[in-house]
Amino acid sequence: MRFRQISLQNFRNLALVSAEMAGRRHFLTGANGQGKTNFLEAAGLVTALRSFRGADPRTMIAFGQPQADAAFVLEHEQLGESRLTLTLTPKGKAVAWEQTNVARLADVIGKFPTVVLSSNDNQFLRGAPSVRRRWFDLTLAAMDPEYLAALQSYHRALAERNSLLKTHGSPAELAAFEREMAGPAAILVAKRQAGAAELDGFFLAAHARLVPEGETAGLAYVPDEVIASAEQMFASLAQARSRDHLLKTTEHGPHRDDLELGLNGRPAKQYASEGQQRCLVIALRLAQSAYFKAKSGVTPVLLCDDVLGELDPVRRARFWASLDGEPQVIATGTSPPERDGSEWQVFRVAAGAITAGTKSA
Amino acid sequence: MTPALEELQKQLKQLPGIGYRSAERLALHLLVERPERLPGLVAALHEAARSVRRCGRCGNLAEAELCPICADAKRATGQVCVVENVPDLAALERSSAFRGRYHVLHGKLSPIHGVGPDQLNLATLLERVATGEARELILALSNDVEGEATCHYLLECLPKSGVKVMRIGFGLPSGGGVLYADPTTLKSALDGRRDYS
Ligand SMILES: [Zn+2]
Repeated sequence: MRFRQISLQNFRNLALVSAEMAGRRHFLTGANGQGKTNFLEAAGLVTALRSFRGADPRTMIAFGQPQADAAFVLEHEQLGESRLTLTLTPKGKAVAWEQTNVARLADVIGKFPTVVLSSNDNQFLRGAPSVRRRWFDLTLAAMDPEYLAALQSYHRALAERNSLLKTHGSPAELAAFEREMAGPAAILVAKRQAGAAELDGFFLAAHARLVPEGETAGLAYVPDEVIASAEQMFASLAQARSRDHLLKTTEHGPHRDDLELGLNGRPAKQYASEGQQRCLVIALRLAQSAYFKAKSGVTPVLLCDDVLGELDPVRRARFWASLDGEPQVIATGTSPPERDGSEWQVFRVAAGAITAGTKSA
Repeated sequence: MTPALEELQKQLKQLPGIGYRSAERLALHLLVERPERLPGLVAALHEAARSVRRCGRCGNLAEAELCPICADAKRATGQVCVVENVPDLAALERSSAFRGRYHVLHGKLSPIHGVGPDQLNLATLLERVATGEARELILALSNDVEGEATCHYLLECLPKSGVKVMRIGFGLPSGGGVLYADPTTLKSALDGRRDYS
């Protein structure tokens, strides 16, 4: 897949942007706080119609404006030239695909894969499990509508159960919503198990290309509870009721699952150095890209937020060598990386305005 | 703007699907463009407010103790189709797919929105089962989390024998109720109902 044109209006600090994307290497340069990451955030919306920063749609609308608009022209391996437009209003989002309004947003999710590599990713290993779970959910949901549906149902039923726990709902009411949690929970756990196993293979391979020094990376799914069936989950929820009543929330379930990255068989969170952690996280994103490609046949666009500049020239060369299928790369940084064999289309970003600059070798 | 016009606009704006602009248009239409329509509308509103109430048996709209469907002896088949609200009942009636009676719950369980069993029209349904008037329940609630949970809850409340419980299943748009389904879909959903107990 490739972005050919990205047009934005009132998207955060970007009042009016129309960027013609030539080729497959694009670099947005400028001081921090000028709008580089906002541009990447807008591009990333095409994948799951949500911000990779986890931002509320309302915060993406420029201050004082009624709505934000984003229009994309894409080249797609299977769909050909595609036009996607997104309108964000305080009430929600509307999507049009080839000028036709999309009634079921799930029909678009995952069709236009992008993968984000961000300098904030160093929080990925050390941060709360929710950070890793969010990434895992997004990765699986983008390629599997059934996963997305189970995830939404589970969280909906979980919120209803938590509400009952706070308001002292009757056992029959609790049981009614626990049944609605149990089925989706079993689906989530089974699909997370299978997904982690697949991702683990891609992760190992991507890491080996990035760090060929005999280090072995691994990825493991750490379920909060091993749930073999909906019946088992249903029983476990019923059993947890009295304790959950005291906590006023549901203590156990797939909403507490985690993902663990390992290096040479040991948890990377504790044992990997800063530099090793950075490579692990980049490898994870490349694994995500390979996973999307394997599932959909579409090569994802890589959105690199302030990442390439952080790598030393040797690692950067390996990064380029490890890319599979010549993906389009849209990168940001304070200055374009020099002498890494890529010819960049450079955009200068200043105070919410983006202007195409000259090509740099 | 006069205070009376403002008040009329305010009242209209609170109606579903009416925004600020439509409210203004409707108010000016009634007061300026076609004032001769006003008395008829006022009379209709007044009469509806006076005479329309809930059917004491099924919860449908009625102008007597019973709604026209409950009052019709030909529809006493023992089959009762349980729906969330009156528009769902109306959609099923339009499709002519069902010739029994209905029961309108006036909602579905949703603790988040403060809807518990006490907020639903449940007690009369249990009575209808107890008296034997309802021998087969067809649950036509939406197939989202809250609709399904309401079905589980209902099943818990019903006696274990003496009543057959069915669930209309396939073909309904996910997350939507019967309201959004076309007549053909509704008919096949009813025909394809499956045992729920
Ligand atoms: Zn009635």
